[in-house]
Amino acid sequence: MPASGSSMQQTTTASVAQSILIWLARLLLRAATRVGQLLREHLWPWLRTRMWPWLQQTAWTLWRAGRTGSGRLYRWAWRRESWDWARLHALPMRHVRLLVMTDDLSQAALTLAETGRFHPDPRPPVEAMAAGIPGSDYRARYQQARGRLEKIARLVPVESTPPLATLRVVQYEELVAVDAQLGQCWAEVSQFEEQFRHLDEGMRVLRDQQAALENFANLDIDLGALRNKTRFLDFYVGMVPRENVSRIEGALRLAGYLLFEFLHRGDSSHVVIVGPRAPKAGQIEAVLRSASFQALPIPAGRDDADPAQQQQDLARRLVDLEQERAAAAAALEDWAATHGPALLAARRTLLLAEPLVTLDPSIRSAGPLAMLSGWVPAGACADLEQRLDAALGQPFAMQTRDPLPAERPLVPTVAVRNRYLEPFGLLVRQYGIPGYGEVDPTPLFALTFLIMFGAMFGDLGQGAVIAGVAWGLRRRFPHVYRFGILAGIASMLFGLLYGSLFGYEEVLPALWRSPIHHPILMLQLALGFGVLFLVSASLLAIYNRVLVGNYAGALFDHHGLVSLAFYGAMLRGGLNLAAGAGFGLWPLLLVLGTLLLLAITAWRHLQAPLGERLLVVCIETLETIIGYISNTLSFLRVAAFSLNHAALSMAVLTLANMMGSAGHVLTVILGNLFVLVLEGGIVMIQVMRLEYYEGFSRYFSGEGHAFAPLRLQRGRLATAGN
Amino acid sequence: MSTAEQAYLNTRVSAMSTRLLAPGQVEPLLDLSLGELAARFGLAPPPEERRPLRTRSRAVEQALVSVLLEDLRILIRPIRGAERRLLLAWGRKFALLNLKTLIRGKLASLDAAEIRSNLFELPSHAHLAEEALDRAEGVLELLRLLERGPHASIARQARELYERRREPFALEAAIDQRYYSVLLREAMRLRDANQADLRRLIGSLLDQVALLWLLRFRCSFGLSPSEAFYFLVPSPHLLHRDRLLALAELEGLESVLAALPEPLGPLLAGSENLLQVQQRLNQYSLDVARSSLALSQSAVARALAYLLLRENDLFLLFSLMQGQLLGLPRDLIAVAVEQPLAVGAAAIAR
Repeated sequence: MPASGSSMQQTTTASVAQSILIWLARLLLRAATRVGQLLREHLWPWLRTRMWPWLQQTAWTLWRAGRTGSGRLYRWAWRRESWDWARLHALPMRHVRLLVMTDDLSQAALTLAETGRFHPDPRPPVEAMAAGIPGSDYRARYQQARGRLEKIARLVPVESTPPLATLRVVQYEELVAVDAQLGQCWAEVSQFEEQFRHLDEGMRVLRDQQAALENFANLDIDLGALRNKTRFLDFYVGMVPRENVSRIEGALRLAGYLLFEFLHRGDSSHVVIVGPRAPKAGQIEAVLRSASFQALPIPAGRDDADPAQQQQDLARRLVDLEQERAAAAAALEDWAATHGPALLAARRTLLLAEPLVTLDPSIRSAGPLAMLSGWVPAGACADLEQRLDAALGQPFAMQTRDPLPAERPLVPTVAVRNRYLEPFGLLVRQYGIPGYGEVDPTPLFALTFLIMFGAMFGDLGQGAVIAGVAWGLRRRFPHVYRFGILAGIASMLFGLLYGSLFGYEEVLPALWRSPIHHPILMLQLALGFGVLFLVSASLLAIYNRVLVGNYAGALFDHHGLVSLAFYGAMLRGGLNLAAGAGFGLWPLLLVLGTLLLLAITAWRHLQAPLGERLLVVCIETLETIIGYISNTLSFLRVAAFSLNHAALSMAVLTLANMMGSAGHVLTVILGNLFVLVLEGGIVMIQVMRLEYYEGFSRYFSGEGHAFAPLRLQRGRLATAGN
Repeated sequence: MSTAEQAYLNTRVSAMSTRLLAPGQVEPLLDLSLGELAARFGLAPPPEERRPLRTRSRAVEQALVSVLLEDLRILIRPIRGAERRLLLAWGRKFALLNLKTLIRGKLASLDAAEIRSNLFELPSHAHLAEEALDRAEGVLELLRLLERGPHASIARQARELYERRREPFALEAAIDQRYYSVLLREAMRLRDANQADLRRLIGSLLDQVALLWLLRFRCSFGLSPSEAFYFLVPSPHLLHRDRLLALAELEGLESVLAALPEPLGPLLAGSENLLQVQQRLNQYSLDVARSSLALSQSAVARALAYLLLRENDLFLLFSLMQGQLLGLPRDLIAVAVEQPLAVGAAAIAR
């Protein structure tokens, strides 16, 4: 039979296609295995026997070259700024107080903004003489002009930061003129906006009418009867906001009218209202007006008009309105072309006036003298003074000093500027900004993050995928893609150490050891890392407190020296126990002694009745013991996830081995994707948790505020030839 | 709301309610000067006497509003979710006053500085988008901003007001109506044990508003039953939708009062005018608030009750200070402070 023949033909085609696929998959697998073999037989020995000694030799040569002072590396390494990325402290800052003649104030503001190194200090001065705040008219005028320009820019494109070829002072009179010009421009643009609104509203009503007409077409009633008011009945058909329907219905009921909803469209309801004609029609209209009722035209009905004709009529009117809108848009474009240069000039004027307005809260004046103060990086003070000297026509005085201890919370912190540390800095800022003088945890965070992520997600192939995807997305995420690349590289390095490639443990020989085959060792190392991490965090906490003169806190507070001694004694005792030698007398005495000291400190700090004090001190002391133990054990997750990763990969491969060749390849690909997305996400969360909770909560207050210098907002000038 | 948040808010309300004025504490306040009153209630010192009366009065009003909104800020701090939204919805009345002032001022083509001088300075948790409206240069721009912003629902009334030169009554009634509808909606969103107490408290407030509006619309403004009903907000307590429909159809003060359910009927029986009705209703609402503050298990209901009572105290204080600013005799001020909410409600309804 023909049908049976066709079915047989389809089955044959499918089986041929399947065979080709399987052959291809086998070929791929064989090729991959061969590549693995080649790597193992040739590349790996080469790496170990040739490359490694070469690297060692090169490093040694560089080191010797540096030692003799002839190598660039040596000179680079000795330059202080080369190690800026690794600095643990914010840049040292100085407080600057500037006294200028009031006439020079605008120029001073412009120069300060040009340097981009002056963070205004809005505190009122100590001196009573400098109490006045000048320039409120200037600020008000600037804000009005800026507001007008922003409103115009919603409809007409105006570059937000055009290049500024020359820097000049904007006088008040010029600002007034620009404001007046922008006022005139806005009045004209506003008319366009109103025209657009009117046309859009008209189109909306027409679309609603089209929808209503379509709806009427489905009704099996004489619409003509609705349109023509009868001797006894009034009809209203229209739209009301949906939220008003219930109240209108009640109000109409009082006048003997009935309301029926027949269509919901957006926030509107289409309704038919019917009731006895006169004498309450006036009341009804008042209610409908208050309820934002919009009448809809009622089609004449099937008998005496063609609904299709009416639809065409509405469509034609809609097209007319759209054309009218397009004409208005074209007119606006013409207007923009005519006024574009003037608007750009206005934008430039406002950009030049902005520094003085931004500085306004920090400026105080007394007669012809004006005073302003702020924070400047210590290294930039001399340059700032030189620039002011060159720019200001009249004498000025610039006094600088180190921040006072009490001012420490007010001093801004300069963020880390290193393209590789920048994404880690973003994650640190999610927790807080380092206070001035406080250790900036970004370099340490980056290092420990990469170690933990790599250890928990070590796989050469998957790491390469992470790095590759991050590289592919570098244009879309320019600030964070390096984070992905570094995380991928960390994963790749640990993958080499573990000998793991896309979950395969046999393809690549482990440079070190595979976690799944040495679980106890992994757990021991994770604990060791945790101890090191916690001790480092406590040392940083102590250091931060000493730095701000909080010596008692450095000794007795949480994660202070006494707590650290307690932790050390606990560790020693724990190691003794593990070795089967009992806890040990000295560790025990130290544990008890430090706990007693902590309890006394808590007792002295607490103001409460005796019973409550006892209870709280006992609980806090107990919490110290439990806290340190649980915090250390928390790091076991680093090993646990490295085992988990290997186990998950094994599960994927076991599943893959149960399939045919094509199924094997597909399962390996999907399984790796699953591991990358799900486990990769979980590992990321776990590492962040360890960093924030076990690390930052010990030593990082995050209560600083970022250095936000006065800047001139301007675009880059086009270079010649561009 | 978690048990811890509930306990915290309850403690806060109990601590703050010690600031409320007891009946015996009002009389001695009549003998205090403006400065002493300001110091006693932690207000900013009143402006110097050489400043215009209007400026001084405005400064006093602003200081009192700031005190109330600061109390609100403290109360909402520990709470999240629907409870927080409810208290914030209550506090938006001052933002709506600003909105009315802005619309009225722009429609009357008043100078921007003149309008700004009549606006309350509100903290971030209590203001709406009035700053953007304030920057509008002209009525049409204001109307467009209204249509685009969170007040789109009243924009049509505003446009009609402008285009057909109508009275601002419908617009302002729509703003008030929306305020109470949102308050009611937020209260009804709360489930669990909070709802019964809140229903009673908000219900008493809405009963009062609905009855006063009904009487005013029908007896003073002469609106038809339909128009009057349209502007009312049904209460979840006594004056619900069907009852308001029935009351709206009645003619005259006596017939409306006679048809009221208990306890409003006996409470208002014999009232001869709207002022008496208002005074008795105020007292009724305050009694419900005091009872909620003392007995309710719901921390949010207690917080709202506290705010209502505190608002009443501050209106009383406003009457006292305003009386002194105007140089009124002590006896006259004493009469005014007997009915602070009457003054307050009048201020809100401006």
